[in-house]
Amino acid sequence: MNTDLIPALDAAGLPGPPWLFHILLVFTFFLHLLFMNLTLGGTLMALVAHLRGGGRADHPDSVLAGRLMAVNTYAISLAITTGVAPLLFVQVLFQQFFYSGTILLGWIWFAMLVLLMLGYYAAYLHKAYRGPWLAVSALSFLAIAMIHVAVHLVHVQPERWATFDANALGVLGDPTYWPRLLHFVLAAITFAALVAAWWAVRRARAGDRVELNRSIARTGWRWALWATVLQVADGFLLLGVLPREVLLGVMRGGLPTLGPLTLSILLAIGLLVMLARATDPVEHPGLVSGTLAALTLTVAVMSVTRHQVRVLYLEPATSLFDPTVVPQWGNFALFAVLLALGLATVFWMVRRVVTSPAEGDEAA
Amino acid sequence: MDYPIWDSGLSGGVLMAWVAITHVIVSHFAIGGGLLIVVTETLAIRRADREMRELARRSSLVLILVSTVFGAISGVGIWVVAGLISPGAISALIHAYVWGWAIEWVFFVLEIVAALIYYTTWDRITKQAHVLVGWLYFIGAYLSMVIINGIVTFMLTPGRWLETRAFWDGFFNPTYWPSLVLRTGICVLMAVAFMLWPAFTASPGRRTDLVRYLGWWFLGGALVSYAGYRWWEAVLPDTVTALFLGEAPTLVGLAATRSFALWSLALGLALGVLALLVAPRAARAVTAVALMAAIFAFFGGYERLREGVRKPFLIHSHLFSNGLLVDQIDEINATGLAAHSGWVAAGDPAPEARGRRIFAAQCAACHTLDGYQSITEALPTVADLELVATPSSTGMDRLAYQAECASCHADVAHAEMVEMLPSIEEIRSDPDAIRELNLGMITATVMQLKEMGEEITAFDRSVMFDMRTLERGTMPPFVGSDEEAEALAVYLASLDRTPDAASGDAR
Ligand code: HEC
Ligand code: HEC
Repeated sequence: MNTDLIPALDAAGLPGPPWLFHILLVFTFFLHLLFMNLTLGGTLMALVAHLRGGGRADHPDSVLAGRLMAVNTYAISLAITTGVAPLLFVQVLFQQFFYSGTILLGWIWFAMLVLLMLGYYAAYLHKAYRGPWLAVSALSFLAIAMIHVAVHLVHVQPERWATFDANALGVLGDPTYWPRLLHFVLAAITFAALVAAWWAVRRARAGDRVELNRSIARTGWRWALWATVLQVADGFLLLGVLPREVLLGVMRGGLPTLGPLTLSILLAIGLLVMLARATDPVEHPGLVSGTLAALTLTVAVMSVTRHQVRVLYLEPATSLFDPTVVPQWGNFALFAVLLALGLATVFWMVRRVVTSPAEGDEAA
Repeated sequence: MDYPIWDSGLSGGVLMAWVAITHVIVSHFAIGGGLLIVVTETLAIRRADREMRELARRSSLVLILVSTVFGAISGVGIWVVAGLISPGAISALIHAYVWGWAIEWVFFVLEIVAALIYYTTWDRITKQAHVLVGWLYFIGAYLSMVIINGIVTFMLTPGRWLETRAFWDGFFNPTYWPSLVLRTGICVLMAVAFMLWPAFTASPGRRTDLVRYLGWWFLGGALVSYAGYRWWEAVLPDTVTALFLGEAPTLVGLAATRSFALWSLALGLALGVLALLVAPRAARAVTAVALMAAIFAFFGGYERLREGVRKPFLIHSHLFSNGLLVDQIDEINATGLAAHSGWVAAGDPAPEARGRRIFAAQCAACHTLDGYQSITEALPTVADLELVATPSSTGMDRLAYQAECASCHADVAHAEMVEMLPSIEEIRSDPDAIRELNLGMITATVMQLKEMGEEITAFDRSVMFDMRTLERGTMPPFVGSDEEAEALAVYLASLDRTPDAASGDAR
């Protein structure tokens, strides 16, 4: 492999031990995925539901589309906000590969910014004017997903950089590209569908427009079921097309790699069983919450596996470098304390807001 | 300099400037807007004033639409573009200040969540809870500036960090506090300029009132900005201020930028006092536009000045903006650039092709071929030499000399130069010789740039360098072997598109 193209490690050294950054990267990426799922899956699903609703405001599919887009007012902003942290940590840990990957894609990577802006404002325009904006928004987010998968696959394969330099779009021909993209898109749809179902079940059980919410819950539940069926198939396909060394690395890694992988496969099958058990989720509120919790756990575990696969891809390259560590423990401690305080403040604020409803002259 | 090169077709610096300008404008507005809106709401509650509440409410829509997304995306955009155009440089900055950015992210999360809640809970929660969310928004937004200001000011005046490499020495550097004061003032100015619009649509009875209310904010913001600016100037090292202050500033363009910025502020202040405080009834959309223009000009001027005096560094006296560390100069000169970068080493070994890759690695961060800071403009060409050597009754020869040669031959008069040059007849009869002369000149220029590296490494590394002592102090040195310097010169000379006088065909 031509390792000459790999830039040198940053001379300043790592301001903390590598494991710390690995943990922070995976954890913040997981947070990002939750909101990204709502954004991408929610917008795609809203588009289909919106079309099926055919513009009738009282149609369950129209209501579903409206709800998903209402959630997206928050989800898109939070997807961006939570995306900043993994973007920071990946630059610390993998700068040699990450910057190289983004440079080889160049304008394609830059286009992500434009698409983000387009996707977000199109979502607002949809709320105000309808028209084609929802499709614009959904396609923008889908394109962003395509860009991220491309950057990922280029950055983990330095031995192919010379080819990507000649033709960046060649990455679309990578055997893992489409299965990998599909894996993220299906997960996003499942997540958004389950959140929609969960909310509809809650409303229905609270006696709010029971039939409407029952219908919405069923739709969400069905989407989640079929997306998961495809997901399990696609997951095995993806595993099968991984480069041999990477797959062998996962297999030989023992508990640390096989543990999470096995767990996520079991979780996926468990999800299937749970999803298949009920046709009317309103009758099984516990099952719905349990399924959503299990899915969230799956996303968390898969984030670990995804990261391990990246590390294995890069192993031949990273083993050539030996990072110096110049820890700044005091600053890390400050960050950790502020993070705890910051999250506590956010929770306190949300609680205060939820417990302070008001109307008319009493309200702000 | 060992990264692949993004061949974007336009100047990375210009792209960065666009993204960065968008970001600083939006982000300062987001902070100042937060303060003004929540104070306005607090006052509205205390005075039971519907109109003030409406002002706060209407302003909050713009705030959320603009700040939570445009601000965030353009902020990410700065990283994206920096990673594309100077990855080594941004990597070094991030490695020194990850924890700073991580902390900023915490405040950013608070800011965004609060902004989303604030906007969507009008009419839905109690006044106290709503104001609380507003204050948390402002606190989150302001604290993120408190952090980022440390990193931004560090880049210009790293201070004791150069010696100690300690995080906090760099963070609380000499320009930290003045800059924070200045930016605080600017945040308020930005917010007033935007909030005038919703104020104009208030009920006719209250419009004047509200405009005057914003006028007081404007006055305060302008005075704080001015104080912050003067303080900033006062704490800058003399070696930096001499670039744009005094009788004979080194960088005349920057001196002009400074006057432009200060005059804009003065004009904005005068207009603000007149139109918002003295005669608020007269304030119109055009007033708001003019104030906005004045503030943008002041702020933009200041940012340009700050970036301009930092040139050619990303972190002053430590890291050049093309990713070259001062500490690397000797090493790369000894081993050659190809040993350092696989992207330079790989490919066609012919000098011209190698030179192109060296240019991409070292020079393209600032120079385009024909556009902004065009390298072909900066270099002499055979056509230029011919013009200078052709006696002209209209003085074309002297003009050409002033325009094309004097920047590098300031101490040689035109007449002397003509003595040194072959005559135009000799040039025509032996075109190769003049190309040789041009190539020799370019080679000598690159070698001078390489020697500059030796001067720089001789500087005291524990204090900020005085770049004025260098002949080309706005540029990093060339690094690499002599052979690579020649390859670069061959490539640069090949950019000369002068057709051969003898054969008449383009090379
Ligand atoms: C950090 C940005 C930067 C980098 C990198 C850079 N330059 Fe420059 N260069 C400048 C600036 C700014 C000027 C204009 C100086 C002026 O107008 O006073 C300049 C001017 C020049 C000039 C004209 C000099 C003169 O005196 O008229 C030449 C030739 C030149 N650069 C060559 C190069 C070469 C070759 C490289 C790569 C080895 C390079 N530059 C890298 C910023 C840079
Ligand atoms: C980018 C900088 C630069 C520009 C622009 C430039 N030169 Fe030069 N020139 C040099 C350098 C460097 C040398 C070598 C000086 C030395 O060796 O002392 C040189 C040498 C020369 C020499 C040879 C002097 C000798 O001692 O033999 C001549 C003649 C000359 N230049 C003419 C010109 C003319 C005419 C122009 C305008 C068309 C011009 N130069 C523009 C950098 C430049």
